[in-house]
Amino acid sequence: MEIFLQLIYSGIALGMIYGVIAFGYQLTFATSGTLNFGQGESLMLGALVGLSLVGNIHGGPYLNYWLMIPLVIIFGAFQGAFVEWIGVRPAIKIKSEFGWIMSTIALAIIFKNVAENIWGKDDLKFPSPLPESPIKLFGANVLPMEIVVVVGALLMMAAVEVFNRKSIYGKAVVATSNDRDAASLMGINTSAVITFSYALSSVTAAVAGVLVAPLTLTGATMGAVLGLKAFAVAIIGGLNSGLGIIVGGLILGIAETTTGFYISTGYKDVPGLVLLLLVLAVKPAGLFGKMAIKKV
Amino acid sequence: MNLARKLIFGSMVLVGAMTAFAADNIKIGLQGPLTGGSSPMGVSMRDGAKLAVTEINAKGGVLGRQIELIERDDEAKNERGVQIAQELINKEKVVAALGYINSGVALASQRFYQEAKIPVMNNVATATLIAKQFADQPENYVFRNSANDTIQSTMIVDEVIGRRKYTKVAILADSTNYGQLGREDLEKALAAKGIKAVAIEKYNIKDVDMTPQLLKAKEAGAQVVITYGIGPELAQIANGMVKLGWKVPMMGSWTLSMGNFIDNAGKNADGALMPQTFIQEGNTPKRTSFIAAYQKAYKVDRIPSPVSAAQGYDSVYLLAAAIAQAKSTDGPKVREALEDLKAPVEGVVTTYNKPFSKADHEAITLNMPVIGKVQDGRVYYAYDDDKKRGAEIRTKK
Repeated sequence: MEIFLQLIYSGIALGMIYGVIAFGYQLTFATSGTLNFGQGESLMLGALVGLSLVGNIHGGPYLNYWLMIPLVIIFGAFQGAFVEWIGVRPAIKIKSEFGWIMSTIALAIIFKNVAENIWGKDDLKFPSPLPESPIKLFGANVLPMEIVVVVGALLMMAAVEVFNRKSIYGKAVVATSNDRDAASLMGINTSAVITFSYALSSVTAAVAGVLVAPLTLTGATMGAVLGLKAFAVAIIGGLNSGLGIIVGGLILGIAETTTGFYISTGYKDVPGLVLLLLVLAVKPAGLFGKMAIKKV
Repeated sequence: MNLARKLIFGSMVLVGAMTAFAADNIKIGLQGPLTGGSSPMGVSMRDGAKLAVTEINAKGGVLGRQIELIERDDEAKNERGVQIAQELINKEKVVAALGYINSGVALASQRFYQEAKIPVMNNVATATLIAKQFADQPENYVFRNSANDTIQSTMIVDEVIGRRKYTKVAILADSTNYGQLGREDLEKALAAKGIKAVAIEKYNIKDVDMTPQLLKAKEAGAQVVITYGIGPELAQIANGMVKLGWKVPMMGSWTLSMGNFIDNAGKNADGALMPQTFIQEGNTPKRTSFIAAYQKAYKVDRIPSPVSAAQGYDSVYLLAAAIAQAKSTDGPKVREALEDLKAPVEGVVTTYNKPFSKADHEAITLNMPVIGKVQDGRVYYAYDDDKKRGAEIRTKK
């Protein structure tokens, strides 16, 4: 039982990492129907910028961990807005179906190369703000940082939800996601809303980056695998369901750790991908997604 | 002549002088991962080799010619390794090559050197197959001066089963060629002692969570974890063990001495054991001067991977000795000279006395490496006995 609990804990921590990145995919998909395929790279840039501020690689540490987060948020916002401005807006303007896919992937590669030149290609240690010794929780071990990741991810998603429901700006975002043309006719600056959603999406990724970095290692290549797994989560959960993202993340995370233990560590990535294929075949909008009817 | 003309004339003279100079150089190719997870090994190997080249050139070079290293970054990728081998052979026209950190890259690309009849000195890669890949051909151009996996796995098994009397071992190996070939050698060495590992687990490069693998090992009652992988993931294993609150000794292939394992695992790395051909300790005059020269040239205190640096350094001396003896840079002649080196070659790891023969292309034998141990961010001799006898040169048997 203790073993199972331990696997569940690790699975939850891993799943919430995936989930919070997947949440970033959702934000931009809701407003513009486009995705930033460089979500993993946004996470990586956030983590590395954070590392420059709190680590000693660029003459630091300049700030403590918690004070660094607001700066990373600002950086993430600019980075996301930049992606939208360069990669996505031109494609939306000409109503290109696929232009944004290539341009966000291209930007992701460029970001990775830039990061390799600034921070090097090696994996670096991210100093942990909390003690690195585990604490016992109902008989199994958890790292304090894992709890922070789970709580941080949930808080971040809750904050965005509250913002969307309660504030006038949030309502503009919701209106844009419901019907972009109608929202535009109602006087909402939909193009600004889309830019904003990209900024917000990169902010969540960048914050996720500094949250997970003390658990994983930090480096220019850290985003690729995480971004891909998160994409699977977004598909499994549904691209327009907040609950779906959380459940999808947990399913994938727990599937990975339990398969690794009970079947074979050689196959631990398989169940998640099988599930992905199943979902695509049976319920293409995702487990919790609403089927969008495309009117032609 | 106005200034512009003078400048053009001056630079033409300079360029002319340089090409004349370069034409006489003996070109040796060097390839290894200078970036990425295995870069501490690649960079240390290159830096060690450069030290040796500088020393040899300062003494007038070989055959009265200077040695020139052509270095390339293979990024630990098999396909890059293949491209580089072809470039070094066909475009740079190297007379010999040294390097290879990653066994997979070596196995994928050294056939080009074999076909071109150019000797290649593997100075870090350890897969047992490497030096034997072309052993069935009449002329084998692949040599090695690193401790192969058979040696390493035998040493690991001797240590955990023989010396420490453990009976339940778990193996954690990565899914690359390096990890899986090493795992096979380990299983063989264990079987020779009549022991079967209680858990054999696999993980991928870049995996961030080692919980399932470690839990399986723990549940199976393992008394020791044996690893075969590279620095960053090894650090995740050490950190994962602390997270699970499970403390058993960690022992593994020599990669547990890599800087990026030690740095990323921090104090969790303490106590890790591994076979080493070289420990950064100046116990002979040759080693003292090598360590001092390395620290001075690259402004570091701890060599990122001391074993790679030492073997990289020695590999240049071995090749240089063979070229000098062959009185030629012709591939087949250099190979013949390597297989029958008349004079002993003094290196950092050992003094190479007839290191190779026609049938044996391995310079390092089981009696040469020692067990190293990580403590406070450095690798030391694990046993006082080895430390005391550290100054003794262990030669090939």
